[in-house]
Amino acid sequence: MTDVERLFRTYNAALVRYLTRRLGDRDWAEEVAQETFVRALRQTSIQNERAWLFAVATNLVRDEARKDMRRRKHLALLAEQEREEVVEPEETTLERAQEAAMARKAVDALAERDRLALLMREEGLDYNEIAEALQLAPGSVGTTLSRARRRLVESYETLQKSREEREKNAAS
Amino acid sequence: MQHLDEGTIHSWLDGALSADEAARVEAHVKECPQCAAAVAEARGFIAASSRILTALDNAPRGVIPAAAPARRIDPMVWRIAATVMVVAAGTLVVFRNGVGTTKTDQAAVQTAATSSSAVALKAPIHDEGTVTTAEPTTPVRTKALPGAANAARALSKPPAMEKRGVATGEVGANAQVARSQNVPAAPPAVQTFAQPMSAAAAGAVAMDAATEQPRALKVVGTPRTVGAKVTLYEVAPGDTVTLTEPVAVQLLQSVVTGVAGQSKAAAAAPMRRADAAAVSAPEPSVGAQASRVESAKAVTTISWPDPVTGNLLKLSGRMPAARLQEIRLRIEHERAAAAAEATRRNP
Repeated sequence: MTDVERLFRTYNAALVRYLTRRLGDRDWAEEVAQETFVRALRQTSIQNERAWLFAVATNLVRDEARKDMRRRKHLALLAEQEREEVVEPEETTLERAQEAAMARKAVDALAERDRLALLMREEGLDYNEIAEALQLAPGSVGTTLSRARRRLVESYETLQKSREEREKNAAS
Repeated sequence: MQHLDEGTIHSWLDGALSADEAARVEAHVKECPQCAAAVAEARGFIAASSRILTALDNAPRGVIPAAAPARRIDPMVWRIAATVMVVAAGTLVVFRNGVGTTKTDQAAVQTAATSSSAVALKAPIHDEGTVTTAEPTTPVRTKALPGAANAARALSKPPAMEKRGVATGEVGANAQVARSQNVPAAPPAVQTFAQPMSAAAAGAVAMDAATEQPRALKVVGTPRTVGAKVTLYEVAPGDTVTLTEPVAVQLLQSVVTGVAGQSKAAAAAPMRRADAAAVSAPEPSVGAQASRVESAKAVTTISWPDPVTGNLLKLSGRMPAARLQEIRLRIEHERAAAAAEATRRNP
């Protein structure tokens, strides 16, 4: 097994999940992940593989976002509306779709650094790796994560409450 | 001890603290109900945020056209491009080899006729039966394409040595060979449509060539060559000679390309190669009007210093030196006449 194969097998799932959560599109996430591994191919040596991969993936997304942010925002909005408008036959699926839409909104409401740190942590990166990938001081990672978690949960709960109110109003 | 800040609590719960720090935090949390509540809340946030993020994993595919990394060119495009290149290169090689083959066959015929390959090499390979288009291209320039250089080499090789194989490693040296001559090894861009001739026909052609009357020289092209003025004269139908005249500005020395770099290396040991052995260096030769005669693969080159400018003129063609000398006299005569004419017009 070559080094890149090993890298791919070890980190692809986490990287794709991280990017999917970050981008909201699995195809896009997979493409960015592949591009990340292609970049890894060109490296002669990588000190901290996981931090490096997540940092490169993050930068790829960021560069991309910078380039056509407006277009993507528009498309993301359309996609969001489409997701919300989708009427699923089963209650559970609808429930899940609504949860996903709220989760997406809550995640998008986070500051970029908080969001990335949280998503990286969820993929098992330790504080040093997150600091390296995001070029943060290691001592500030705990603060960043605590803020991110709190805001995410609070945003989500706010969305949940307003949804419940909407449903209550619709029922009455 | 002060109350724990939220960042420290998360760091502790994430196992990011050192053993000492963790022990201190643990001890404090046991004693401080306020911080114990904060820890409980933090645990809740950690679990809840993980659960929220899990909801994102069922992301739909392709909702956002991934224009971004997809800017990479489709592999199929590369495949098509590669195929086109291979076909184009193959066509060129076949075409060029086709030309070489025709000459080879003729040379072989002449070899049979004279029973001596050495004679055959020096014998005029007179392409009477070939159609030579009057549109030569620069044979080998500073940025010579490997294919072109190779084709020139293939044409200039003695038939017995001719190989179809492409040895790219020799391209640079070969380019130097052709460049230092400043003469195309073979009439450039010769498009031969003739079929291989029979021995009798070839003999007849040779006879015709020998008895041919001098005709007026006709300039059929002036291929652009760096550092030299090249004139192509048609001395007989389908038979051309190349006159090379160095220009005052030696651009050859100032243009540096990959090929040029290789050429310098090749120039360091120019006479090592068998191919190069017959090629003269471009320095002006000694002796006022004396001319040097070199023969390389059926192409004979004579060189002599120009009486007016002192530049080393070179005349090459697929014919014996004596015939080139005769053509040289005609060229000199015409050049003198042209110069006189120019002087008369612009005194």
